[in-house]
Amino acid sequence: MTTSPASGPGTAAAPPSGGGRARRLSGVRLQEYALVLVVIALFVAGSILKPDSFPTWDNVRNMLTQASVVGVLAIGMTFVIATAGIDLSVGSMVAAAGMFGGVLVDPEGSTLLFVFGALAFATALGSINAIAVAYGRVVPFIATLAMFSIARGIALLLNDKLPVGLLELNGGSFGDPAPFSLMWFGTGRILGIPVSVYVFLGVVVAGWLVLNRTRYGRYVVAVGGNREAARIAGVPVRRTILSVYVLSGLLAGVAAVLLCARLGSASPVSGNLYELDAIGAVVIGGTSLAGGRATIVGTFLGVLTFALIFSLMTQLDLSTEVQQVVKGAIVLGAVLIQRPEARL
Amino acid sequence: MAPVLEVRGLVKEYPGVKALKGVDFAVERGEVHCLLGPNGAGKSTLIKCVSGAVAPTAGEILLDGDPLPVGDPSASLRRGVATIYQELDLVDELTVAQSVFLAHEPRRGPFLDLERMRRDAAALLARLGHEAIDPRTKVRELRPAAQQVVSIARALSHDVRLLIMDEPSAILDDGEIETLFGVVRRLTADGVSVVYISHRLDEIRRIGDRVTVLTDGRTAATDLPAATPTDELVELMVGRAVEQLYPERPHASGEVVLDVRGVRRLPSVRAVSLQVRAGEVVGLGGLVGSGRTELLRLIYGLDAPQAGEVRVGGRRLPPGRPDRAIAAGLGLAPEDRKSQGLLLDWSLTKNVSLADLGRFERGLLSVRAERAAAREQLQRLRTVPADAERAVRELSGGNQQKVVLARWLLRSCRVLLLDEPTRGVDVATKAELYRVIGDLAAAGVAVLVVSSELGELVGICSRILVMREGETVFEVDGERASERELLRHAVAPTETADLIEEVT
Repeated sequence: MTTSPASGPGTAAAPPSGGGRARRLSGVRLQEYALVLVVIALFVAGSILKPDSFPTWDNVRNMLTQASVVGVLAIGMTFVIATAGIDLSVGSMVAAAGMFGGVLVDPEGSTLLFVFGALAFATALGSINAIAVAYGRVVPFIATLAMFSIARGIALLLNDKLPVGLLELNGGSFGDPAPFSLMWFGTGRILGIPVSVYVFLGVVVAGWLVLNRTRYGRYVVAVGGNREAARIAGVPVRRTILSVYVLSGLLAGVAAVLLCARLGSASPVSGNLYELDAIGAVVIGGTSLAGGRATIVGTFLGVLTFALIFSLMTQLDLSTEVQQVVKGAIVLGAVLIQRPEARL
Repeated sequence: MAPVLEVRGLVKEYPGVKALKGVDFAVERGEVHCLLGPNGAGKSTLIKCVSGAVAPTAGEILLDGDPLPVGDPSASLRRGVATIYQELDLVDELTVAQSVFLAHEPRRGPFLDLERMRRDAAALLARLGHEAIDPRTKVRELRPAAQQVVSIARALSHDVRLLIMDEPSAILDDGEIETLFGVVRRLTADGVSVVYISHRLDEIRRIGDRVTVLTDGRTAATDLPAATPTDELVELMVGRAVEQLYPERPHASGEVVLDVRGVRRLPSVRAVSLQVRAGEVVGLGGLVGSGRTELLRLIYGLDAPQAGEVRVGGRRLPPGRPDRAIAAGLGLAPEDRKSQGLLLDWSLTKNVSLADLGRFERGLLSVRAERAAAREQLQRLRTVPADAERAVRELSGGNQQKVVLARWLLRSCRVLLLDEPTRGVDVATKAELYRVIGDLAAAGVAVLVVSSELGELVGICSRILVMREGETVFEVDGERASERELLRHAVAPTETADLIEEVT
């Protein structure tokens, strides 16, 4: 089992169950490989069931564009869950951020002002979560459940329950939006790939680097794995916890921009149940709800899995109600197959 | 008459590992049978087999000459086998009476018979000589020693005939161990047999009747008399003689590095001042609950003191800021490695580097540099396994402690605070840890060691302080210290007389 030459009895190796645990250490890897197979299998299944409409460039582009909104949220959620927290308010924050930006540029304004307003407002809402959890010591579930309600209420109040049209901001249109118009972020393309997909992929890559290749990322996972041990090793525990909720808010702002830019308007009822999609993607990906183990690659694959399943169900003419049942069942199933100690 | 417990040719294989390769031993009625062996020798697996927690691959377990059903904990319990684990499995929020009768509560019709529960619990506690524990107290409010008594009372509530105790003394100080021995003697006088597991060889002579030594999953020797000389037992366990348990005693020559002035946090710490010089190993003895661990937490900034200050190299540390303490050169190996020292699912490398990630960060972390640096420190401490990418959870206690130490070696810290550094560690690894502590001191590190093993403090410290009720009450040069004298100062004056009588 060991290759060390120093094998006095005192240094005798691991407890009996060592072999099994060694394999488990790579559990995250395994789950990632398994998910790659799931994504491929779903694509193949779709191509067989709907050979004319599923394996087309248009459909792939569509799926990715739609996935980018929840995908951005899921990356933020991965950081939150890595600290053994949860953010139930991201869907409501998307709506509130979009409405805030919308009201800011109505009747006139610029894309820049909208983006700035949406990001700032979502970050502010996320900061309230952050302070409540890190300094008020409110359980994350309750703090963000309260924000779930508050942010949705604000979204409805901002324009008297009405949506705000954003179609023409900086020369936007559905057909061929001018570069850097708001619509360009949602439907514009560079080299045939939608701008929103670039944004999503950019967030994924940045998220991976931060989580795996910075001190901060290591701290995030350490805090979730063992808060007391992290503190004794000098990790600034409160600041780390604070930061993930702020980050989740900021990314909700990014998601709001992508969503409004695709729809050409901000709606107070948008973003409904996005938190479930985001949490679902993170959990399918293999990040532990108990904290201490997180994977951005897994989350990315989880987002793709969800996107494929819904595209397929839509093409098979399954109603949104059915889709909702399936969505919940997948999340439940994903948690059940996680190894026991990774559950809450 | 058949022995109470007889184990014949017991083998247990886990996937890829053979934990037990053939163990034989027998326990007679009313005896204290000590089980010795280095970490990883298979002691835990053996008691799990007997208590039914796991099923052996081959071999027989006989109770009074009848085979015991394997892998069935409730059958073992019904036949009168109970186990007190090192980590007590009590529910903090339950009362003592509820804990004793957990899952087999006496009833009257469909309702709990609370009155009988209290009465019977009190009777069991009295049988153990602990009438002072009120059955209505919550477990949370009891000290670890009293919680252990509650665990034993729970075992007795099952009409136990064989009690297995896995390192019961690890969480106790010397005074409390004597109380535990009193309990054990009462049990054996009643005809109960006890299997007693401990790393503290001195205890065996005091409480044991016979000894079985396990090494590498086999019985190395059995039916040894408890009076077997320590050297002989160590040699059986280690397979060679340990020439020297303690390294050369360090003598401080450097300047004062750690200066603690009048630190207070009631109720556990009342105005403590102490100094540790570079190259010095200062021991902090005392009973469990005398405020030693709490003092370390104050020095390290895990708690903020109500008064007083801590200076490192002349500079005052901000209170309640472990990160700043670490930046100033402090390191802490906490009392409970598993829950406070380590991230068990993380690799050795990541556990070692956590306190010093800044040095690998040039924009992004250099994972390669991190691995190399961690490996260097782990090899320096001869940590096993050599593969630093495995999960720390897989390591034995001694090697886990080395991972914690490697973390502070990596940082080249100036002051090292060690809380019970050798708890649950076998004698050979203990000798290695003592050597590491000695080497660190020789390299100019100021070391402050808390330990409940007074012999260990006498063996390795330049200077020893004794704490009692939140204050330092005694100081002695390591050369001149004796365990007996330290213990006399550790216990309150009123108890002193009879306790010393019993111990010596």
